[in-house]
Amino acid sequence: MMGELLFLIPLLPLGGALVILFAGGRMPRRMLSGVAIASVAASAAMTLWLWPLAGDRTRATLFTWLDVGALQLPVEILFSPLAAAMTLMVTVVSALIHVYAASYLHHEPDIRRFFTLFNLFVFAMLVIVLADNLLLLFLGWEGVGFCSYALIGFWYRNPDFAAAGRKAFLVTRAADVLFGIALLWLFRLTGTLSIEAINLQAASLPPTTVTILALLLLAGACGKSAQLPFSSWLPDAMAGPTPVSALIHAATMVTAGVYLLCRMFPLISLSAIALAVIGLIGAATAFYGATCALVQRDIKKVLAYSTISQVGYMFLAVGAGTVTGAMFHLLTHAFFKALLFMVAGAVIHLAAGEQDLFRLGQLSKRSPTLFWLLLVGALALAGVPLTAGFFSKDAILAACFARQTLWWTSLGIAGLVTAFLTALYAIRLVYLLAADRESASGHGPAPRGLVWPLLPLGALALVGGLLNLPAVWGGHETLGRWLETPAGALPSHDLEWGLAAATLLLVAGAWLFIRNRYRVPPTVSPGGAGVSFLAAGWQLDSLIRVIITAPFEKIGCLLEKSVERRLSATWPAGLGRLCQVTGQSWRVLTSGYVSHYLAAMAWGMVLLLAMLVVLLVL
Amino acid sequence: MIVPLGHVLILAGLLFVAGLAGVLLRRNLIMILIGVEIMLNAVSLTLVGASAYWRHPDGQLFALLLMAVAAAEVTVALALVIYLKRSRGTLDVNRFDGMKG
Amino acid sequence: MVTVLFYTLAAITLATTVLCLTRNNPVHAVLYLVQALFALALLYFMLGAPLLAAWQVILYAGAIMVLFLFVIMLFEPPVADKRTSGRLTHWFFPVMLGGLLLACGGALIAMDPAAKASLSSYWLTPRDYGRALFERYALAVEIISLILLFAAVGAFHLGRRYRSTTKEDVS
Repeated sequence: MMGELLFLIPLLPLGGALVILFAGGRMPRRMLSGVAIASVAASAAMTLWLWPLAGDRTRATLFTWLDVGALQLPVEILFSPLAAAMTLMVTVVSALIHVYAASYLHHEPDIRRFFTLFNLFVFAMLVIVLADNLLLLFLGWEGVGFCSYALIGFWYRNPDFAAAGRKAFLVTRAADVLFGIALLWLFRLTGTLSIEAINLQAASLPPTTVTILALLLLAGACGKSAQLPFSSWLPDAMAGPTPVSALIHAATMVTAGVYLLCRMFPLISLSAIALAVIGLIGAATAFYGATCALVQRDIKKVLAYSTISQVGYMFLAVGAGTVTGAMFHLLTHAFFKALLFMVAGAVIHLAAGEQDLFRLGQLSKRSPTLFWLLLVGALALAGVPLTAGFFSKDAILAACFARQTLWWTSLGIAGLVTAFLTALYAIRLVYLLAADRESASGHGPAPRGLVWPLLPLGALALVGGLLNLPAVWGGHETLGRWLETPAGALPSHDLEWGLAAATLLLVAGAWLFIRNRYRVPPTVSPGGAGVSFLAAGWQLDSLIRVIITAPFEKIGCLLEKSVERRLSATWPAGLGRLCQVTGQSWRVLTSGYVSHYLAAMAWGMVLLLAMLVVLLVL
Repeated sequence: MIVPLGHVLILAGLLFVAGLAGVLLRRNLIMILIGVEIMLNAVSLTLVGASAYWRHPDGQLFALLLMAVAAAEVTVALALVIYLKRSRGTLDVNRFDGMKG
Repeated sequence: MVTVLFYTLAAITLATTVLCLTRNNPVHAVLYLVQALFALALLYFMLGAPLLAAWQVILYAGAIMVLFLFVIMLFEPPVADKRTSGRLTHWFFPVMLGGLLLACGGALIAMDPAAKASLSSYWLTPRDYGRALFERYALAVEIISLILLFAAVGAFHLGRRYRSTTKEDVS
């Protein structure tokens, strides 16, 4: 009975969205944002209340959506520990960001559209998290895609922003096609779309098929999570309002890919090749994102590339076989990245819309609270020991090294290098924002609504590591035990201590380097070729243009010239002329004289009678 | 009465062809209408003959219905004749070629 | 005796029909047609349809043909048509058509064994007639009555004299 209540978790935000959509026009602004916040907060409270159900892996069916022959598709949700953890994170972070957004968009005229889409997004995200079958998950998957598109282009009057929304939509759609193929293929192979049933049957599938399926799922996940080669949409997605970036493009939606891989892990783990590829993509993306984040000038783009990089870590974790590590990093990342984004939003708000790092500064003087929160977020991002980011990142690296093969060791080393780069750009961010220089002036102190939602996130970013404290540090790996997910190879204690020491060294080195470089507030310098190469995201956009877009356009032009013009102009014109000519010649028949028509009828009668005669004679 | 059915049918056929010839050859609209009436009567005759052959009332009933339909047809047709005479000033069918393609 | 009467009436019908169709004056044509209809009414009577014969006289000859006459009289001077054109091509196809029709019809009649069956009159009393008409074909009667109504309305509409739209009409 309690199980049915689980449906309220996603349905509350949906209800909020509908109320705002249909009644929002007549509400005062405060009430409108109040409805939005309350629906998500109620959803979070619901999750906490129903938390005990997760231990029994409760499933609940609302109704049967499709029942066509072999295809049985109930709208069913599964409240497993994995889903419960994710649900709690999504609802709590969403509720905080909703509060933040209400203040952030204080002067925005169209908050009705914003909160409708924002609540709808939370609904779609919860559908992904809770869905028990792949098609329902896909529904949510596309739902978040749509909300992401609409919210990136929220200020659609700016053509660049609208284009950014379109780009995000198209790139993720390209990946979703592959995901869709995997989905249909799985249904054909197993006759079911239930995730659990598929995972159970996966062992009986041929290994090559499993590998291809896992790679297709990986492609879908890469699109949603902005991993290479589908990563180019995320930096552009920063065109949306900052709360959108914090919620959708840092904390929740971009981690949906990781979550998908975690849910499908029993299937994926059957293929060593797929795992290796996932790890490779994760490590490569982590490295790529970190290098790009090093040189960005736009504060939000630093965070966007950082998100790409951190999600890469999660993929690396899945590849290394530690779903626990992936989920752990997913949660801590959601905390500190949402925190960083919201701090960035507040900073931008204080500076009256200025986003250039080289024009911002003096944060510690203007708003000490924000500065401390920034510091907490950056330290967690950099993986300073004892912060949440430290434990989650180390768990991933440890899982890599513990595999003790050349492949995973080298990926682990790549991860370590990336950790150093991460520390570099995180500390650079702090130094640039705190730099003592003339900065863009703006409003007075940050509104309270912009600051207090950050406090719980700051606390979580600091102590979130306690969720899954490894045994070496005296913990019990609470999260892992509770999630009952595979933890991958167990690292030795020496390895863990060594990694902790290495991380400490790397962070310290990064701090010294940045301190040396940015002690004097830097002036705007054009930078060399390397810098502009990194700043443009390794020219990934140009590469895609050369490899995919340009040939596509060429083929399109060719087809237009060779086929379409003939099909749509030459041939139809010929057909038309044929009709005209025949019509002209047959015009003679319609003389307009009644007697001619009657004669024709009579001739027809003669013909019929003659036919009868002939038939009778024969 | 001892007449073969065939003779009744031949009479009806002759009447029908005569009416058709009138329709096709005459140019006056009223004469064409008269031709149509003759054709309708030929059909009526066939129906009555069939009724006698099969010893069944349906033929005669349909002859009556045909008569009623003919009355309706004549009503509209004559109204059209008046309308055309009034608007075109002629009843020569060869002058009416508004449907020419 | 009756047989002779049939052929005589048939001959009269044919002759008056041909005469009717060849008249130049429509009034004459209509009068010949009335004669043909009378002859046909007698034929109906002989075939056992007294009621139909009566209606043929009352309705067809009495009402419809009189309607024709009225319409023809409306036109001043009465419409007199020139003979149809004497061109051979104008005649050729209709005559061929009629000939073919007759030939085909005659062939069909000749081939049909039923055509040789001799016919005796099938008497249908007005009582039987009424029963059959209003029991089995009541719906058809209703439909025909509606058709007549529509025809009346249509004729009324067509026959109206439309005044040209002027200012008084608009107001």
